[in-house]
Amino acid sequence: MLLLLLLLRFSGAGVRMKGGLRLVVLLMLSVESSSLSPPGKPVLLGCRSPEKETFTCWWKPGLDGGLPTVHRLYYEREQLEGTHECPDYRSAGSNSCFFDKNHTYIWVDYHVMVEASNALGNVPSDPLKFDVMEIVRPYAPENVTLMVEEKQESPYLHIRWKHPSNTVSRSGWITIKYQLRVKQENSNDWKNYTSGTQMGFSLYSIHPGAVYEVQVRCTLDHSSWSEWSNTTFVKIPNYLQNERPFGILVSIFSTIPVVAALCVLVTKRKYVKRFLLPPVPGPKIRGVDVQLLKSGKSEDVLGALIVNQNFPPMVARKDQMEEYLIVSDGGEWLLPAPLKSQKKKKSSFIPAGFHLDSQCKESTPSQVQENKDEMKSSSNLEQKQEFSGINFAAADLQKGASENFMQRLPNSGYVDIQRQENIVEVDGILVDYSRVKEVNGDNVFILQKENVPLSLDVQRREESMSEDYSRVKEVNGDNVVLLQKQNGSDDSFCTEKGNRYTHCTNQTQRNPHMTGLSKIGVCTDLSSDGYVDTIPAPSLI
Amino acid sequence: MAQRRTNGSKLLMTVLCVVAACRAVPVTDLLDRASQRSDRLHSLSTMLTQELKMPEMAPLCLTISAAFSVQVVTNSPSRLQDSHFPPIGRVIMPRPAMCHTSSLQTPNDKEQALQVSESDLLSLARSLLRAWVDPLLVLSSSANTLPHPAQNSISNKIQELQEHSKSLGDGLNVLSGKMGPAAQTMSLLPYRGGNDLGQDKISKLINFQFLLSCLRRDSHKIDSFLKVLRCRAARMQPEMC
Repeated sequence: MLLLLLLLRFSGAGVRMKGGLRLVVLLMLSVESSSLSPPGKPVLLGCRSPEKETFTCWWKPGLDGGLPTVHRLYYEREQLEGTHECPDYRSAGSNSCFFDKNHTYIWVDYHVMVEASNALGNVPSDPLKFDVMEIVRPYAPENVTLMVEEKQESPYLHIRWKHPSNTVSRSGWITIKYQLRVKQENSNDWKNYTSGTQMGFSLYSIHPGAVYEVQVRCTLDHSSWSEWSNTTFVKIPNYLQNERPFGILVSIFSTIPVVAALCVLVTKRKYVKRFLLPPVPGPKIRGVDVQLLKSGKSEDVLGALIVNQNFPPMVARKDQMEEYLIVSDGGEWLLPAPLKSQKKKKSSFIPAGFHLDSQCKESTPSQVQENKDEMKSSSNLEQKQEFSGINFAAADLQKGASENFMQRLPNSGYVDIQRQENIVEVDGILVDYSRVKEVNGDNVFILQKENVPLSLDVQRREESMSEDYSRVKEVNGDNVVLLQKQNGSDDSFCTEKGNRYTHCTNQTQRNPHMTGLSKIGVCTDLSSDGYVDTIPAPSLI
Repeated sequence: MAQRRTNGSKLLMTVLCVVAACRAVPVTDLLDRASQRSDRLHSLSTMLTQELKMPEMAPLCLTISAAFSVQVVTNSPSRLQDSHFPPIGRVIMPRPAMCHTSSLQTPNDKEQALQVSESDLLSLARSLLRAWVDPLLVLSSSANTLPHPAQNSISNKIQELQEHSKSLGDGLNVLSGKMGPAAQTMSLLPYRGGNDLGQDKISKLINFQFLLSCLRRDSHKIDSFLKVLRCRAARMQPEMC
């Protein structure tokens, strides 16, 4: 404006200037005079203490007001008298006030205010009340470094950083805790991780080939969080997966023999089972059929048992029992057919005790026998008949055996008499006999070996053969005939016979088993015509 | 004065070391546990103040400033009503200078704190902690009927505060027994605010917030003192600092 006034004065001197120019200058003067005013009200932006030891306040100035404006910061503090001005306007930049350590007190209230002043006036800002504790906010961590490391064939990301620049002292006055966030380059999802007071962090879940962004921030004594650090990028290299196929190959090759062994075991499981669990032998009884036992028929079982047992044949035993000495002179003394048949029929076991008894017996009175053998055999037959009640089991075998008894020679129970000794030839036929001397007990006959006059016997025999008869001396009972001999020998003979008869009768009496025929004790047979055939003493067999 | 302080601190340090060597549980461990507990306390109180400072509080503050009629629970008159600053536009919120614990002389910066002896530090911490037993009861009872949307969360945090405060007090008692007779002295800081925070809703909220701001400051003090102590006691373990 002054300049314009000067211009007018100089232009006035030069009379007759352009009229337009004067108008322009006047307009400009009028405009300028209205902008002069006191400064605009400044605004305190805030204060911040990065390390709990100093703090800084910033303000924003208002409109200038046309005049040079000066901003001043005044503060009051608890436990401090008066109002004080900012100690340092420069260190923190323009429009700031920096409170150093000497001027910073914690746990006390500050009243801060900024005043803008120019030639026309002073304008204060709104005050700010705070405690340094409340305005603590650290700077971001620095030197964030990322390293891709490998552990047990898996890559992981190791993140490291340093504490904020101005927090160096380690006296326990401050405690900083960190936080970081990670995201892949293409996505928008940040993942937050808390690190505590550690200045390192390991991230394991990373993908090879991807690019990661990492940011870190911190807090001081549970204050407000700092800004995020500058983004750091890292690319995870693609790890060639060479080792995996190798591992797979090794595992496959190691499982093949195992699988093969299993297959072998499965296919040969029978042998394996037999090897591991040998079969226990079951019970075996010869001849016992298990199925038969199970069916429950004891009779069949017993029958099977018996059949298989191979009992000794009954035939042999029977033969032993019933065999006796059969003496035959030849064909003349052969028994008549019916008798034979009778013999065959009437066969039975003869107990040993009855052997001698049977010899004394004679056949039925109806039959006249001149043959010793006949008598013997008949008596034997009779004995056999009598003993039929005592026969043993297996009657079948008896029948079978009876057919053979004639041919067989006895070897038990019977007195074996040698032929050669007592062969008496009567009428040309050899006769074998002996005399009983004494009888001991029931069945012991003591044979008398005496020189029986052969001639007499021969004679007798001859007599009996040709005209073999004699006179009956006496008759006792039904069937006892005492013959009268012409010589004394006959009498003796008869007496002998009588003796024999006596013995025989005695014998018969002792045998209660005798039936019917037991009465026949006579040694002689009655002939139909009243003559008695003298039968020589039967030879004891 | 400073020399006596350094001599006294050195003596105390040697005593601490001897005591630490003889006892079963080392002092460093006890201090570590105590500082962790105090850290949790401070975290809770900070969260509480932030929860209370919700947007709906802003119009509340404006009405208060217009009214100038708030009954404030204070022990000392405010010194902030200066003529230099016009009252209009000034938010009259009770400031922690009026806390019942403000009479306690504590270090106010780092240098001062590092110069205080260990037993004094511990004594200060214990005194402050003891001073908040009663107010926490008042806060707890008021939190149940607090006219605030986050009342439930606030109530839970105050509950947790009480528990941590109690356990920390017990731990500090044990510590003080190990650190000599000087650590046993305690300052009495009675709370005179009564059992009631206010009759109406606004005064209730204001007083509630005021008390919480006082608590935040004191919990920060306790936490800082204990952490300084811990760092000093564990010279062999730099991670404690």
